[in-house]
Amino acid sequence: MKTPLFAFGLAVGVAFAGAAQADKLDDVISSGTLRCAVVLDFPPMGSRDADNKPIGFDVDYCEDLAKALGVKAEVVETTFPERIPALMSGRVDVAVASTSDTLERAKTVGFSIPYYAFENAVVAGSRAEGVASFEDLKGKTVGATAGTYEAIWLEERVKEWGSGTFRPYQNQADVFLALSQGQLDATVSTVEVAEANVKSGKFAGIRIVDKAPMVPDYVALITLREEYGMINYLNLFVNQQVRTGRYVELYKKWVSETGEPANLTINGVYR
Amino acid sequence: MFDTALTMNDLIFLAKGAGITLIVTAIAVFFGTILGVIFGVFRFQVGPIWAAPLTFVLDVFRSIPLLIQLVLANAFVTTVLGWRVTGFSWNVTGFVVACGVLSLYTAAYCSEIVRGGVEAVPPNLRRAARSLGLSWGQEMTSVTAPMAVRVALPSWIGLSLGVMKDSSLVFIIGVVELLRSTQVLITRLQEPLFLLMVCGAFYFLISFPIARFGGYLERRWTYD
Amino acid sequence: MFNYNFRWNQALNSLPRMLEGALVTMEIALLSMAIGVSVAILLTLCRLSGNRILSAIATTWVEIARNTPALFQIYMAHFGLGGFGIHLSPYVSLLIGIAFNNAGYLAENFRGALKAIPETQTRAGRSLGLSQLQAFRHIILPQMLRIAFLPMTNQMVWAILMTSLGAVVAMNTDLYGVTSDLNARTFRTFELFAIAAVIFYVITKAITLSARLIAARLFRY
Repeated sequence: MKTPLFAFGLAVGVAFAGAAQADKLDDVISSGTLRCAVVLDFPPMGSRDADNKPIGFDVDYCEDLAKALGVKAEVVETTFPERIPALMSGRVDVAVASTSDTLERAKTVGFSIPYYAFENAVVAGSRAEGVASFEDLKGKTVGATAGTYEAIWLEERVKEWGSGTFRPYQNQADVFLALSQGQLDATVSTVEVAEANVKSGKFAGIRIVDKAPMVPDYVALITLREEYGMINYLNLFVNQQVRTGRYVELYKKWVSETGEPANLTINGVYR
Repeated sequence: MFDTALTMNDLIFLAKGAGITLIVTAIAVFFGTILGVIFGVFRFQVGPIWAAPLTFVLDVFRSIPLLIQLVLANAFVTTVLGWRVTGFSWNVTGFVVACGVLSLYTAAYCSEIVRGGVEAVPPNLRRAARSLGLSWGQEMTSVTAPMAVRVALPSWIGLSLGVMKDSSLVFIIGVVELLRSTQVLITRLQEPLFLLMVCGAFYFLISFPIARFGGYLERRWTYD
Repeated sequence: MFNYNFRWNQALNSLPRMLEGALVTMEIALLSMAIGVSVAILLTLCRLSGNRILSAIATTWVEIARNTPALFQIYMAHFGLGGFGIHLSPYVSLLIGIAFNNAGYLAENFRGALKAIPETQTRAGRSLGLSQLQAFRHIILPQMLRIAFLPMTNQMVWAILMTSLGAVVAMNTDLYGVTSDLNARTFRTFELFAIAAVIFYVITKAITLSARLIAARLFRY
């Protein structure tokens, strides 16, 4: 009884371990599907249309990547906090999820070159009448989406100030809901998201007051740290997107028809 | 308040989430009950000392938040063991882990209920049955089981409903059930109060009648 | 099979922060129990009062608390009440959500316990000159709490476990909140949550054991 069961367990284990050893790039091409983690409460990068189908900059970017690989794209919705766990757990192959390329994260996942860059804005809610600049947030109740670049940055500032409170909500929608209900005084979010949310008119009383004084938030595609073949491919893909003008095209489609997309290179240093 | 942008599509989307909630619950209750009966009878049969290791393991499932059990099991299966199920269009790993954890969670509570039910059968009655020549198995199935079920059924119904409500936590490993699909709609439609009411009403409509039925059985069988 | 590198050091470095979180978790659970027991007694009184409206309110409370997920109740305490302009901090939202749940389950336990107390006792008390409320306070209540002591212990354990749901209302100082915050920075999911699981286990065991000791002292006849 024990032996066959054990052998079966071993066989299953070996089968799975074997699958895990193969190169990710080969896996994706042979499976015929590219599974992208996309955050869908982050307009205009990711959201849902009236049929609850995923749409947005990141969704199109994932589809372009799948087309380049010659496979079918499959968008897997994740929240910000669960996007890296989803990658680690093999639920997705890459994350096209506006992931900031922090050094802390690079210890765990592999980043491509940046594919987009955000400026962050200070958004004040219905309760915070007097807030006119970032400095006014001192001592206020602020919040952001747990685990994001701007959340970690904002929490650091609150700690520095030594007054006020920071609240990490589970997703972007909850942050803006709390903001419009007056549970939060202000949040820091990307200019794109802030403008889209203000324009939608769904959140009463929110307004953009200031630019957040932080380094532009460069975001990159991510995959597993050891998948160099895939990372290499992603780098070239991002380069090609810019080179062919698709980057500008997607920017005009989703973000702003009149604006200019951010420059993805940094002066004075390689990569 | 009832002026909503909710469309037929959205209702279908919600219904799918509700379907996942019910499927996960059904699987967990099914396997959890089978395991729970085996564990419960075993624990009763071998006595508290020999059953101590099993009791300890089952106790762990009742002493740690389900949310943490799910996160841990998922992290263990996917990052430590490194199992990657590929080629499916939906979250197979998450679903299997969710069902597995919930089944063991159910089993832990169920074994407690089963043990209580078996203990409630008077030992003299069981001895009488055995002395009439019934084997252990015969006595168990035709004397103890029918009596124990009467004691245990109301609690078992309560447990099943508890599992249904607790299944709302499987969102943490990426399974889109009722509460998660509600959140998705809230993100798009921005009608949190209305949508949450709909979601709460769904749980209530399933849970309440069954809970009442359980209460009815309990009352009826008390006077037998 | 195990090509995963466990890095316990990094996770163990965060132990002091997690233990602080454990204190917050226990604090919330204790407060929510205190509120829950008081409200449950009130609800029981409402049900006993014979007043239709009071009794209907109590029944609605109990049925909603028992038939919807705790996660839903906590979310509603924050965003639901927020929709009506009532702003509660994450701490208070979580506390209220759990207390609401506790009160509902405990009221039902109390109802079960009341069945075991003969009604003649109230009548005997009344005939000794006690008012209805006095009779409840001095005769019924002590027995009711004694009979419902075990379910109350269970509910206390539940309250501890329910604090883990605070993340949905941006709670970040309790044990679960601290753990998931650390996880967002370091991604040592397995190690961090394994440690949290052990802490939760120790807390719940400590509660069950101390409840047994208290019961042994209090209920000596």
